[in-house]
Amino acid sequence: MIDAALSSSGTRVVLATSGDENYPPENIIDGNTETFWISTGMFPQEFILRFSDPLKIKLLTIHSYNVKNLKIEKSASSDATDFDTLSEKEFEHTEGHLQANDFSLTGTTATHLRFIITSGYDHFVSVHRVAIEGVYQ
Amino acid sequence: MVKLRARCILVGDASVGKSALAQMFRSDGAHFQKNYSMTAGVELVVKSVNIPESSDSVELFIFDSAGKETFVEACEKLWGQPSVLCLVFDVSSEASFRSCSLWLERVRAHCQGLQVPGVLVGNKSDLSSRREVETAVAQEWAQNQGLEYHETSAKEMENCDAPFLSLAQAFYALYQDRLQTIQTLA
Repeated sequence: MIDAALSSSGTRVVLATSGDENYPPENIIDGNTETFWISTGMFPQEFILRFSDPLKIKLLTIHSYNVKNLKIEKSASSDATDFDTLSEKEFEHTEGHLQANDFSLTGTTATHLRFIITSGYDHFVSVHRVAIEGVYQ
Repeated sequence: MVKLRARCILVGDASVGKSALAQMFRSDGAHFQKNYSMTAGVELVVKSVNIPESSDSVELFIFDSAGKETFVEACEKLWGQPSVLCLVFDVSSEASFRSCSLWLERVRAHCQGLQVPGVLVGNKSDLSSRREVETAVAQEWAQNQGLEYHETSAKEMENCDAPFLSLAQAFYALYQDRLQTIQTLA
């Protein structure tokens, strides 16, 4: 199945609370776990993805490092408002390799997804890739 | 270019000059409050520090926290997860120096095992005739605790920026270090 979160499928990052210009949030949706976005201090941190069309999601996978608590919210509106909580998870701490976590979100249709990192295992956390199995409506 | 953000917890006994120090730093030495006014909660002072030889900066969110015992518990709730620590005592008060280990313990309880860069500041260095804590003694204790030692006089505008600049730099160094680690992962 095609990864619907890729920037090449029209997905955009419309907000990110941290910005090191060498590690832009677009790295999250380039399909590559070698490139990443890094937070630049303090929590919470968040980023919002916008899809080109309403997306019916099956499975979401996120590759990250040092993220402790992550909350995912969705919006079905066209202007990134009215977010509802979809899922919340405490990630396990990994050392020497990335965290890989799946979220089974079958039946969810969204125009935007908001990822809120409420705490980390270090001062700085990185997100390498968000991949989504889904079908555009 | 990157702008980091650090939560700086500023603690120490009441009346050692924490607020005076924070205000001198914020105002670039333009504002020394002559009359003592006790901080009852937490006052937030925000200032950006440029990192030398780079186009990067660290924005310090200084949580100037009440030193008076009655208020401490309420203040602690606002500390969150500290990024850096600024621990202050008064060089003319042995008691305020002795309290430092308790303050350190309190802040570390909020650090969740994270490496938190810290400085120890001996303030009121202008009161040389009333000095009760020798530089060497403070320096040694700081070193044992992994803190960098600075002496300041908020009143004489002496060295007030140094502790904050050093914290900003330490946090920046931590960022560079973590970046390097993450780069090797992928």
